[in-house]
Amino acid sequence: MAITGRDAFLGRVRGALGRSPGAPELDSATHIGLSVEDVRRSADDVRREMTESADALLDAITESAATAGWKVRRVASPEDAADVVAQICAEAGATKVLRSDQDIFASVPVDAALESKGITPGIATVGEAGADVSILKQAAFDSDVGITGVDYAIAETGTVVLHPRKGLSRLLSLAPERHIAILNRGDVLPSLDELFTLERADYNDGAIEGSMNLISGPSRTGDIAATIVDGIHGPLEVHLVIVG
Amino acid sequence: MLPTTDRFKKGAKETLADPVIQMSMEAVYTGFHTNRQSAAAATEGWDEQRDRGRAIKEHTIANLDYYLEMLTDKIDENGGNVFFANDSAEATEYILNVARARDVKTVIKSKSMVSEEMSLAHEMEAVGIEAVETDLGEYIIQLAGETPYHIIAPAIHKSQDQVAEMFSEMTGTDPGQTPEELTTTARGMLRETFQRADMSVTGVNFAVAESGSIVLVTNEGNGRMCTSIPRVHVAVMGMEKIVPSMQDLGMMLRILIRSATGQRISSYVTMINGPRREEEEDGPEEFHLVIVDNGRMKLLADPKLREALYCLRCGACLNACPVYRKVGGHSYGWVYPGPIGAVVSPVMSGLKQGKDLPFASSLCGACREVCPVKIDIPNMLLHLRQQVVEGPPEDRSVGRIERLGWKAWRFGNMKSSRFWAGGKLANLLGRPFARKGMFRRLPPPLSGWTRSRDLPITASSPFRDRFKKRRPNSSGGEE
Repeated sequence: MAITGRDAFLGRVRGALGRSPGAPELDSATHIGLSVEDVRRSADDVRREMTESADALLDAITESAATAGWKVRRVASPEDAADVVAQICAEAGATKVLRSDQDIFASVPVDAALESKGITPGIATVGEAGADVSILKQAAFDSDVGITGVDYAIAETGTVVLHPRKGLSRLLSLAPERHIAILNRGDVLPSLDELFTLERADYNDGAIEGSMNLISGPSRTGDIAATIVDGIHGPLEVHLVIVG
Repeated sequence: MLPTTDRFKKGAKETLADPVIQMSMEAVYTGFHTNRQSAAAATEGWDEQRDRGRAIKEHTIANLDYYLEMLTDKIDENGGNVFFANDSAEATEYILNVARARDVKTVIKSKSMVSEEMSLAHEMEAVGIEAVETDLGEYIIQLAGETPYHIIAPAIHKSQDQVAEMFSEMTGTDPGQTPEELTTTARGMLRETFQRADMSVTGVNFAVAESGSIVLVTNEGNGRMCTSIPRVHVAVMGMEKIVPSMQDLGMMLRILIRSATGQRISSYVTMINGPRREEEEDGPEEFHLVIVDNGRMKLLADPKLREALYCLRCGACLNACPVYRKVGGHSYGWVYPGPIGAVVSPVMSGLKQGKDLPFASSLCGACREVCPVKIDIPNMLLHLRQQVVEGPPEDRSVGRIERLGWKAWRFGNMKSSRFWAGGKLANLLGRPFARKGMFRRLPPPLSGWTRSRDLPITASSPFRDRFKKRRPNSSGGEE
């Protein structure tokens, strides 16, 4: 696309710094100098750790997610996870439930579990027919519950990571009153640092998505009389269902 | 925003006499500051992370042209547009042109201090575009027709009753609503606005040079609404907001958020890598990044002030500052209040008009102690004070009488004999006016001191004389 006004601006920056154009000497404080291979190797290390330490990381996220404000349920099987999701929806008195079109719903039978409670979930996609995006927006705002999978979770901070893409709307985890996220064993990262290692490797491979959301609890504000209140613009309540 | 930095003393005096604000401001210490301390204590290697954060900023700012070029090349590759603005007027004009070209009716704004420099919401309203602040604190002060009081808590000075009254006038709700009820009321009003918005303006917490990404940190989720719903997303950033690599973000987010609110992480952190991908379900089709100078070049050019550009805008120095907590945010008279504001506001908006701000500090060093990137604010304040005092006479904040006073002080202190004689003379001359060894009220220019406290008179028999008399024998001490 377009870049406007850059040359003159950068000229003034160089003038202020007394610096001539060119690459800087690399500083050990930042990771800017790492080669594509270095990053890929680090990313492989991270993925190995996610598998090898999967149980310890699941224990850690169970605790940190609760601290961050998630209502956490840990279950043994995908079927149990689907039942818990349906139970949360029923207890909330939900009638309008939307889910994403992610792979996880092939193994976690959420639709069937919801049907057994008399709830028919919608799927939050614009669809092949190229329906208007405003229909999706309206549906997301009108829904009682939005259900998604989890791309990664972060043990350090109790965070769920989602990359909006085809099948996963940006609004689904934001506009409905409740968000339920289903986390599989093996998808938990130790800390923010490992997440950005993976993102960076994806970027180098040209596989990065248009955006990424880190979600750590319900939507919150402290802007009236410094009192913390849950549920300002986004979900009032967030549930994390952990399988494994 | 037009600076009113020359009103500092007047504004401070008014705020000190306002019991509602004084009460509301307690929360910045009992809440934010205390939470920050617990978070810092609970984070492993906190101090090392601050050192690394500082080193990253130092490296980035020292090579800012290189990283700005890399960032904007990548945004271009990602399908976004970039505009470099020398000042607020240029940035505003560009954004208004984008809005006009896309026939935009309603703009939703996520918190952005740079857009406050531009008074962007006002400028939009002036040309008939509805512009709504969506951070709850910003929304409240927009309704009140005010400017932010604090970098991360814009409406911290408003009491619950004041907010309830405002909402009641607007919507007819009960003026006795609790914070929970008021939040629900605001939720209803803003959700309706979100749905019809066709453009958003957000700030930027970090821009990543190597990938052309921008990062937004919010708790409310308004930043996510702004980057999910409208057709057009415009992000505005000061030119200093860059980190070189994505890998630097983990540590930067940690020190920013824990210093700001004491949370381990905010409810939402959003990374935007350009406009929505074609196959995506939703998201803005168009992405613009506006990079603003607006006086920052002056900070960059002065090696002693350059580190002001390391600032992450966490607000920790405000919460720690005994002066800010008393004189409040509006007294500083421009976008950035508190210790960091006392440095950047006068430099960016005019030192002549803002000459009182560098003096609005006791130099206690609390700001430097809490800063996540260890910015030496007291040192910069001294540097600015020097500029103010040594500048052209019409810019000086120090009047003729005070200069005369300091000359006399210098004369009196050049020789010890003068110093001792001066102390005795002051006692002799002052005795008739003192009561119980204290001056209750002194004539101008000393009246400022005695307005809120007493000044003790110099001793009739100075310590030096008494110490001599009390010595058991003169050979005991060193001679």
